[in-house]
Amino acid sequence: MTSHERIQAIDSSEEIRLLTEVWRSPPGFFGWFTHVNQTSVGKRFIITGFVFFILGGVLALLMRLQLATPENEFLNPDLYNQIFTMHGITMMFLFAVPIMEGFAIYIIPLMLGTRDMSFPRLNAFGYYVYLIAGAAMYLSLFLGMAPAVGWFAYPPLADAKHSPGMGVDFYATVVTFMEISALVAAVELIVTIFKQRAPGMSLNRMPLFVWSILVMSFMIVFAMPPLMVTSIMLALDRTVGAHFFTPGSGDPLLWQHLFWFFGHPEVYIIFVPALGMISSIIITFTRRPIFGYTALVLSLVATGFIGFGLWVHHMYTTGLPHLAANFFTAASSMIAIPSGVQVFCWLASLWGTRPRFATPLLYVLGFFFIFVIGGLSGVMVASVPFDTQVHDTYFLVAHFHYVLIGGAVFPLFGGLYYWYPKLTGRLMSEGLGKASFWLTFIGFNLTFFPMHYLGLQGMPRRVYTYLEPLGWGDLNLFVSLSSGLLAVGFLATFVNVFRSLKRGRPAGDNPWDADSLEWGTASPPPPYNFRYIPVVMGRYPLWEHLKNQEVPVVTGIRSDRRELLVTSLLDAHPESRSKMPGPTVWPLLLALAVGIGFGGFIFHNIFPVVGFILSFIAIVGWFWPRQLAREAREESS
Amino acid sequence: MNGTFSVLDASKLPSHAFEHRSPLWWGIIGLIVIEATVFASLVASFFYLRSNFPQWPPDGTRSPELLKPTLATLVLLASAIPMYWADSSLKQGKTFPLKVGPLISIALALVFLAMKVVEYRDIGFRWDTHAYGSVVWTIVGFHSAHVLALVLKTAVVTTLAWRNYFNRKRRIGVTVNGLYWYFVVIIWIPLYMTIYWASYFLSN
Ligand code: HEM
Ligand SMILES: [Cu+2]
Repeated sequence: MTSHERIQAIDSSEEIRLLTEVWRSPPGFFGWFTHVNQTSVGKRFIITGFVFFILGGVLALLMRLQLATPENEFLNPDLYNQIFTMHGITMMFLFAVPIMEGFAIYIIPLMLGTRDMSFPRLNAFGYYVYLIAGAAMYLSLFLGMAPAVGWFAYPPLADAKHSPGMGVDFYATVVTFMEISALVAAVELIVTIFKQRAPGMSLNRMPLFVWSILVMSFMIVFAMPPLMVTSIMLALDRTVGAHFFTPGSGDPLLWQHLFWFFGHPEVYIIFVPALGMISSIIITFTRRPIFGYTALVLSLVATGFIGFGLWVHHMYTTGLPHLAANFFTAASSMIAIPSGVQVFCWLASLWGTRPRFATPLLYVLGFFFIFVIGGLSGVMVASVPFDTQVHDTYFLVAHFHYVLIGGAVFPLFGGLYYWYPKLTGRLMSEGLGKASFWLTFIGFNLTFFPMHYLGLQGMPRRVYTYLEPLGWGDLNLFVSLSSGLLAVGFLATFVNVFRSLKRGRPAGDNPWDADSLEWGTASPPPPYNFRYIPVVMGRYPLWEHLKNQEVPVVTGIRSDRRELLVTSLLDAHPESRSKMPGPTVWPLLLALAVGIGFGGFIFHNIFPVVGFILSFIAIVGWFWPRQLAREAREESS
Repeated sequence: MNGTFSVLDASKLPSHAFEHRSPLWWGIIGLIVIEATVFASLVASFFYLRSNFPQWPPDGTRSPELLKPTLATLVLLASAIPMYWADSSLKQGKTFPLKVGPLISIALALVFLAMKVVEYRDIGFRWDTHAYGSVVWTIVGFHSAHVLALVLKTAVVTTLAWRNYFNRKRRIGVTVNGLYWYFVVIIWIPLYMTIYWASYFLSN
């Protein structure tokens, strides 16, 4: 600390008024399109993500309705193909990744003790891009021309000859869009974590959730660009007759390599933030420092690295050289090590404590159970001979739902119950929460466990029906009924979300007696997040503050304009103050311009040029300094 | 809630940060890493596709000429110099180089683009001729779009410079524009090696 003057920081109501004034988001319908504050944008990501989760869930129920009895004619084959494709796209691109980003965008700046993200306008831009992409995807479904090629759209099936119509064009465009949105969020989260931590929050004091978001963001930075390249290649193949994936001239396997180079890390991009949520919840509900902080950080980082070495295990059945297959089998098994370390550290943290079994913790315990089963079946499919056997059967469907729902959705729901009071100022109902947990947990296992068995029996995935004599009818009916139970379980939580908005118990700043900084401000946080930027002395700042008489803070950040504190990368030593932009409509306009460029490409080659020009105009509008003269005067003083 | 006491008066901290102390600088580094990954994926695809052909460039396509593309590359490399001059002079508070340096850079970049247009107008194959054509046109097209975007961006920065917006303290905009310019120039080197030298040597 540069100065240790122990002046009392006095709250003047005039300053609070100023702060509220400059950080406020404009109200009203038109105001809505200009919000840039991280709390606004984060909340939008979260809500939109859950809406897509519900849509994807409805599609899943339609599939289960169709599969409930053999030779059912509820959905025709083409519609079934569209529906499972849309289910996969929705869950992977429109729900899982954006919702994790949403929680990160909302929570991370609060956890770091700062007032906003580094690039608030870019943040808003990322959201609009996401919204446009999701809306376009569902528009294609309602027009009956959704892609029907599975969520990974392998050519040659996905090329112009075998998939005429616009479905795959929508797919390629929307995928590119979602990558732009994710990349924007990732860069922003990295910079915010690097440069805006509260003074004293050196890297080794960073909460584990922050570490997990950092790892997720780095994975996005390296995993998404290849997918962007490959989806643009697919679009070029389809629209202007390029030959990247044409069999004979180009190579369909090129798509598979580029896709899975992204696709496998994608699973970890979803999973790693969930790990961070688990750590936060365990720390709070055991009220103890976590066991093995360093080991947990290292295994998060290791998971990030190993995630990139595994893509080929999705391609075992394409016939790889033997050595390569052995290498990837070994690498795929290696991922078990960091996962094991983490589970061990969490169990050690829980050991011998008397945790409060509130709903968030229940979801975490549910995660342990499901994830162990998902991990076991994962180790099984990681071996080449076994994978060849169950490839493209329901065994695989069971496996990845165990990993995705167990590994990500359960912790996510835990996180929802945990942070909801921060977002809304009210607690969710515990009774309904516990009921929802048990329904979900039981419904989930009854739905997906029997699928392992169906898969071993040889039931292929992605078929719209199966023949009566195969004898799979009873079990499928059971699975379909159970999926109804699962849906009721999820529904109970959404009911809880709505009811608690009005009727929930007021939460106060820190209803769980948690340790990290987001709980050190009001719930919901004021537009400026913190009246004073706190100074951090350890890993569990709020617990340390409890011990002290007085909380050390930073003063002297201007209240008459949006300003925040920039600190150094390693030690979070204060470096400078940074002026932040306020509400603006340009991010929306840029998102629309980019949308015209990429989306119009489906219809005509001229649109990319139009989009390029419009984007340029929007970017100039965005960056053009508003009051040249006034700013110049301010600076020179 | 406990009381608070101030341990740090931030009003004494500077309100401008430069280079790696500035969040914007890190943001541009992030953009550069992303773009580099994009170009790396394209180069990897180039070599991957090559393994499908007994001959590369495929039968009926000449291996590329080297002289003119090399000249064009030198022109592009040269365009970074005035940019650097402008940026480093501004650090010492000299604003004049910022008014002319970028203009020279823009002119050189436009020469580069014109040379590419002439070259690809009669290169003898198109993106829909074969996979080689697809990947070469994509790499060149994508990179040229970057150069064009850069020219436009720099034109804006220069306009601001002529209106005396930048000074010694307020120069992060120039720094990041320069960074991005160096990136687009430097990334061209591996791309150039791939589509010209690699094509040339693989064909023999
Ligand atoms: C909410 C309960 C869910 C149910 C009942 C469900 C059901 C199903 C079913 C039956 C299939 C197989 C379709 C087929 O192969 O014919 C499927 C595929 C899939 N599911 Fe789910 N699912 C659920 C949630 C999720 C979630 C949360 C995710 C991801 C985060 C997810 C990701 C996928 C993916 C990627 C596919 C593969 C799509 C394809 O084959 O292209 N699902 N789901
Ligand atoms: Cu994988």
